[in-house]
Amino acid sequence: MTALDSRVAVPADPAPDGVAPQRRGRRAARRGRDNRTAYLMIAPMVVLLGIFVMWPLVYSVYLSTFKISFYEEPEFVGLDFYQYVLDSPRFWESIWVGLYYAVLTVPTGIVIALLLASFIKTLSRRAAAFMKTTVYLPAVVSTVVASVLFVFMYQDEGVVNWMLGLLNRGPVNWLNDPGYALPAIAVPGIWLSFGITTLILLAGLLDIPENYYESAQLDGAGFFARLFRITIPLLKNVLLYLLVTGFTLAIQLFELPLIMTNGGPVDATTTPNLYIFNSFRDLTPYATSFSLTASLMLFVVLGAISLVIFRLVNSDKAIDG
Amino acid sequence: MKKTVPQRVFSAVLITLISVSVMFPLAWMAIAGFKGKTEVLRSPFQFFPDMWRWDNYSAILADPQFLRAMGITVVGALIFTALSLTVNTLAAYAFARLEFTGKRFWWVYCLTPMFIPAMAILLTSFMVVSKLGMLDTLAVLIIPGAASSAQMFFIRQFYLGFPMAVEEAALVDGATRWQIFVRVFLPQSAAPFVVMGIAAYLAYWNAYVWPVLTITDPDLTQIMQFLGNFRSDRGNDWGLLMAGSTLASLPTIALLLVFQRFIVNGVRISGIK
Amino acid sequence: MRRRGIVLLAIAAVTASTALSACGGGSEDPAGKTTVTFWQQKFEDYQQAWFKKHVDAYNASQDKVKVDLQVVPADTWAQKLKAAQAAGKAPDIATTSYGNVAPGAAQSQFAPLDDLLPAEAFTDIKDNVKGFVTVGGKHYAYPMLVEPSTVLYYRTDLVTAAGLDPTNPPKTWDELLQWATKLTQGKVKGMTIASAGPDLGWSSWGLQYNACGRLPINDDWSKSTATEPCFEKLLDFYKTLYQSGLIPKTPKVGYADGAPYGQGEVAMMAGGSWVIGQLKNDFKAMVPKTAVAAFPSIDGDPAKTTATLGGWTLTVDAKSKGKQQAADFVKYLLAGDPAIMADFFKTSGFSKYTVRTSVDQALAGNPDATSDPFMKVISEKVVPYGKQEPAYPWDISLAFGTAIESAMKGKADVPTSLKTAAAAIDDVIKKQSLAGTAPK
Repeated sequence: MTALDSRVAVPADPAPDGVAPQRRGRRAARRGRDNRTAYLMIAPMVVLLGIFVMWPLVYSVYLSTFKISFYEEPEFVGLDFYQYVLDSPRFWESIWVGLYYAVLTVPTGIVIALLLASFIKTLSRRAAAFMKTTVYLPAVVSTVVASVLFVFMYQDEGVVNWMLGLLNRGPVNWLNDPGYALPAIAVPGIWLSFGITTLILLAGLLDIPENYYESAQLDGAGFFARLFRITIPLLKNVLLYLLVTGFTLAIQLFELPLIMTNGGPVDATTTPNLYIFNSFRDLTPYATSFSLTASLMLFVVLGAISLVIFRLVNSDKAIDG
Repeated sequence: MKKTVPQRVFSAVLITLISVSVMFPLAWMAIAGFKGKTEVLRSPFQFFPDMWRWDNYSAILADPQFLRAMGITVVGALIFTALSLTVNTLAAYAFARLEFTGKRFWWVYCLTPMFIPAMAILLTSFMVVSKLGMLDTLAVLIIPGAASSAQMFFIRQFYLGFPMAVEEAALVDGATRWQIFVRVFLPQSAAPFVVMGIAAYLAYWNAYVWPVLTITDPDLTQIMQFLGNFRSDRGNDWGLLMAGSTLASLPTIALLLVFQRFIVNGVRISGIK
Repeated sequence: MRRRGIVLLAIAAVTASTALSACGGGSEDPAGKTTVTFWQQKFEDYQQAWFKKHVDAYNASQDKVKVDLQVVPADTWAQKLKAAQAAGKAPDIATTSYGNVAPGAAQSQFAPLDDLLPAEAFTDIKDNVKGFVTVGGKHYAYPMLVEPSTVLYYRTDLVTAAGLDPTNPPKTWDELLQWATKLTQGKVKGMTIASAGPDLGWSSWGLQYNACGRLPINDDWSKSTATEPCFEKLLDFYKTLYQSGLIPKTPKVGYADGAPYGQGEVAMMAGGSWVIGQLKNDFKAMVPKTAVAAFPSIDGDPAKTTATLGGWTLTVDAKSKGKQQAADFVKYLLAGDPAIMADFFKTSGFSKYTVRTSVDQALAGNPDATSDPFMKVISEKVVPYGKQEPAYPWDISLAFGTAIESAMKGKADVPTSLKTAAAAIDDVIKKQSLAGTAPK
């Protein structure tokens, strides 16, 4: 163990860590041990990410300064491809499509899931067990199958238009009208993902001690008062997670528009990853380099958006019970 | 909690509505498995087949490759889930509860991968696994994706919510951080583990592009690769695809049924009394 | 509590070492055989079966070379191929479309086959196809088949019922629109044709030639010609089909899939010749009610191109360690015994067309082939006028496909759509330095 110990203990820097809260004087003495434990604990993750994500990322950034060829000497082009991506109106349009989709789906998905989770929490044990399984079932259906099913429902003579007909409306050309196509794709998008969001929120809700609600109820707080004063503040950590991952995943949406609309009508549902996928299609050095660079730019955009969310929610610190 | 009659009725109606809207597509998929190759595409929409045929289901069950793909994918997914929960929980605990030098740097380092689009590192990560000789092994499906920023982030958020008092008390008693992690935090983690475990399991199960890139050995063919055989832009075999998807979803549904009970009332974070 | 750390590290170490030791992808064989990998892009089911049958036969016929056939799904082909190339694991042999031959040759991706195959193999290739695989005087691919991208299918029973003459199919675009209007009845639409940009990008090449005698770029690839007035007529044609409700507004499958016609949802279909194979395999009842004709021409001139001749070749990777062995297999499969390819065309239901004179001769004695009504029409009226697929970057095709879609769906009027496309094409020309790089 000593060998291992000394190895993991190497990064243990005795320099004082200014970020650490100074709540406990005792902590200063323990810092060395925290360092050792902490590095031991993050080591597997750090190493795995280093080999399979960070190194490939660094290498990709390096490659993006070349016109990538696997058969001839690659030509160094500096930041040319970044310029091309920045210049490309279709790239930016696709980013807007991704953002619009995220705005359509993420808040809606969270609200639906929160309502559903609150509802499940009130159910009897058996009914709750049934619902916990049920809400997750859509995630079991593959995206391909779900896409086809929804394409059906959106047909000219499909179920959705039939229901509109009952209201004396429609028919709407769901998947080929630029105004409707993306919202039409958002529906299966939410449908496929609300299961996990519900379970996450349920797990979070179940952690809120019942007596908080009971005392609030005694104070005469209504449903909304309880929601905004107890539930949401106490779920802040979980909500931050859902917002960040929700946005990240939503902007990277790919399969639904590929199968349902092929990015149409006229790029109205061409999400960033679909755009990148289409630019990757040619077997030329240009196509490889361009789509690689575009995906690196997408990385920057996603990182920036997440940073904004982190700042907005500003819940980076532990909530002290 | 005692409920009034209108509340009960309301609950029952809501449960029915939700389950119908969720079950309908599943039922549609299962029933489409009884249809002919392209009968599914027929307009106007038809729920039931003209003729119930078992050929799709029996053809898939009779295909030794299907059962092998199911088996190897379940095994891979379970190992993957266990490994990723281990790796990510350890890091999550450190980031949530420990103070250490360079914490901010490593936090950003561990979180950043969440924002990297798969395409950005598709070629280069393939080069890495190829150099490491991992192609055509189960390891190539399991190890590269095991460290997951999103999962670590979630569990860390969960641990952030644990009251400080517990730890303080244990520290005063002379417990080490490992002991606190193992004796206090792990026993409380059933719900987040189940939620993240299911997500990890499904992520492995639904992976398509990565297995296609890294696996050519028929013995290691993953279930999504198997189902992909029924797809083609020159006409899909919808009957087989639907029957196959239905059968493939069964183990996952079984798993959900088993593990949902861990997300229950009474998982109380100790300390708040 | 150290023990736990040790256990975890031990687990990690074991997993990692298993990963490293369980090495895969070997090409050495104890018996000294050379293994040649062959990636086949996934097509219709019968094609996979045909490839497997003949690869097995080849492997059994000799003991020097083992061909390892791998079927790769079309949707991940580009990713898988480029990843493999990046890691130095590209397959020795791959299916390559005609459109990718010239760009691949330009970056030295393929081994020239002239030194690897006997000269007779090339003299056997039909003259109109020879150019498809030749770049700078060298052959970089061996052709397998051609498939016209666009022919007209129509339902003789519905045509008769609508009071039209099934023996006299429409000759001009105007006549086609009249037919489509008359045949649109109730839930059955007049026809199907591509309506999404990425599908239009390639499926309209033939009609681009038909309308303007050229693609929307000048001969030396230095400038877009998309704003020429003749292209407006092409966009108007598509626009009328879509906006008058003559085609389904929400297609369930892409252009390449003929299922909606097979299901009887439309009376006519613009489709590739490969749909014949799909009809014969999956929609047998539709075959006797179906007739095939050359797609109508803008002004009725049957000698104008209406289709590009798409199709597939086999290429040998420039970095392959067994080029000669790979080429030997290509020779066996595509350039050897005409009976092997004749078997292919028969399996395809004669929905694809030969590229070798000797295979034509082999089929001439086959009553199935000579009596096939579809084959006769397509090989006499479509293939001779078919043009090669463009070798320029896909972005150009996509820009023009998007212009058609934009006009169809009313995003912009026809001249504006074309202007946008021209600007996009000029941008591609500039960024990819295409001026002067047109093959030949």
